[in-house]
Amino acid sequence: MASLRTTSRLFASARPAFRTQMRTMASVSTPAAEPEPRTKTFHIYRWNPDEPTSKPHMQTYTLDLNKTGPMVLDALIRIKNELDPTLTFRRSCREGICGSCAMNINGTNTLACLCRIPTDTTQETKIYPLPHTYVVKDIVPDLTQFYKQYKSIKPYLQHSTPAPNGKEYLQSKEDRRKLDGLYECILCACCSTSCPSYWWNSEEYLGPAILLQSYRWLADSRDEKKEERKAALDNSMSLYRCHTILNCSRTCPKGLNPGLAIAEIKKELAF
Amino acid sequence: MASFVRPALLRQTGLASASTRAFSTKLAAGVSHSKPAASVLSRQAVRSAFAKDALPSSMRVAAFHAGGRQQILPPLPQSIHGTVNDAAPVPPSDPSHGSYHWTFERLISASLIPLTIAPFASGSLNPMTDAILCGAILIHSHIGFEALVIDYIPSKRLPKIRLLFWWGLRAATVLVGVGLYEFETNDVGVTEAIKRIWTA
Amino acid sequence: MLAQRATQQSLRRLAAGQPSMIAQYAMKKSFAPAAIGASIQTRPVATQKMTPESSYQILVEQRKHRPTSPHLAIYKPQIPWILSGLNRITGSVLSGGFYIFGSAYLVSPLFGWHLDSASMAAAFASWPVALKVLTKFAVAFPFTFHSINGVRHLVWDLGKAFKNDAVIKTGWAVVGLSVSSALALALY
Repeated sequence: MASLRTTSRLFASARPAFRTQMRTMASVSTPAAEPEPRTKTFHIYRWNPDEPTSKPHMQTYTLDLNKTGPMVLDALIRIKNELDPTLTFRRSCREGICGSCAMNINGTNTLACLCRIPTDTTQETKIYPLPHTYVVKDIVPDLTQFYKQYKSIKPYLQHSTPAPNGKEYLQSKEDRRKLDGLYECILCACCSTSCPSYWWNSEEYLGPAILLQSYRWLADSRDEKKEERKAALDNSMSLYRCHTILNCSRTCPKGLNPGLAIAEIKKELAF
Repeated sequence: MASFVRPALLRQTGLASASTRAFSTKLAAGVSHSKPAASVLSRQAVRSAFAKDALPSSMRVAAFHAGGRQQILPPLPQSIHGTVNDAAPVPPSDPSHGSYHWTFERLISASLIPLTIAPFASGSLNPMTDAILCGAILIHSHIGFEALVIDYIPSKRLPKIRLLFWWGLRAATVLVGVGLYEFETNDVGVTEAIKRIWTA
Repeated sequence: MLAQRATQQSLRRLAAGQPSMIAQYAMKKSFAPAAIGASIQTRPVATQKMTPESSYQILVEQRKHRPTSPHLAIYKPQIPWILSGLNRITGSVLSGGFYIFGSAYLVSPLFGWHLDSASMAAAFASWPVALKVLTKFAVAFPFTFHSINGVRHLVWDLGKAFKNDAVIKTGWAVVGLSVSSALALALY
């Protein structure tokens, strides 16, 4: 034990000396080795459920972009690691396939992991939770209603007749192609929470993400419950609160077009 | 012992001593957090430690101003029936307020295009076409106002006000319909009247 | 170096746990890795058994306090929703005027208002020119905007022009066309 202590003490005492030496050497050889710090300001929405009476507020953090990764998620992780461990957000895959880090960045909904930090350091970046959602904590929204609505459209293949070859339900290449631009949806809720109609009527209106999923099953050639699916949408609230505002298509981080999917449903129901 | 602690950990231990709550999985002294209130207090301590001592230059807190003015219909406190695993209720099928309504609305809107262009092309309309235009605009307006009522006056939350507006709108539409009939029969017709006032 | 790191970590863990352990450890003078198994991690919070119902009740209580995140005030002004909102506003203004005029004309004999076309035209003719042009523009812009944007909506209802750049282009085209045609109508 005693020997251990002495070595570590030695090590600790040796370190600063070594460092200063390094610094002086560096200053002699290269006067401006460190690049100019690019300080970027982030304003982040904060609310703590442990203080339920307190109001949400904006907290400001500054980071040097030279030491930060290129994406907003990198900045958030760095803030959490180095500045404020109480900052809460969802993230998982950091590559735009899990949909966890959906949030409102600079006024539009997107995935933090797919959104580059604007390199203009004079512009301050604002980060909010997905708009008009109930906030669990900081930038974590409650998506329970969203998932319940997803479940209500029966997002699975409904097929009662046995497969012709006894093994699997086959699909032509053309029929399969109809699902392109629909199956890629990761249910991040960016589109639904960008829709003003969904803001006002999320209780009953399904919203763009769920309607796109709904169309994904309506468009599937193998599904045999088309009429039931259509009947479930054929009321004044579920589908027809869509007024073609098209914030959904504009904001989709995966480049999908929920607005078009809804228009296709409307056409199928109309004619 | 202090020499063991690397710089990254130093901040955490400093905080822990300030707030009596370690970020590590171990508790330094025999402090037990059995009640949630205790943990709230300790978290406040963490925050205040951050706000005052730790890195004051890179963090600021500002009051949040989203809606300075009074909101008209602020969202209710969140309430959810059932769990995530219970599907949201599917309303009964009602095509007359769904697909039929939508198709009818599109037909009315589409018919308004030629009816609107006609008076510009021909100066004014004969009484029959003028009446058809007025009727189409009236229906289009009625459907538009209906959409406003459905969107902004939720029937679950404000059932009485919803009914009031619903029937008030219908009464207003009938009233306006009669008024327009009077205007069409007693006066020169809507398109001709607009033309005369416009060029007055 | 690696061995020292391992020793450090186990020591740190021990020190955080029970300070008395260090004394024991020092007396034994045994190797650090052997002590790792002895340090059992405990959480600084006490747990309590809870039924699913009571934990659900906690969630229900928490939900009641949750704020709603900001929406209209913070969403970036973009052509799709700004024009959609404008479409609704202009439609409401036009239809509102239509309804007010229709009902006022119906009750005008009761109050002795002169809402026939001839007297209204005469009254409007007596206004100063600037006011006339301004009023005409204020009426013409909602009309042209709602009409042209209405056509855009009907094209969408056919499932066309849904690409983002098409939406933006047609949006600005509607703005340009409606303002210019409203100006033309106002000066007519």
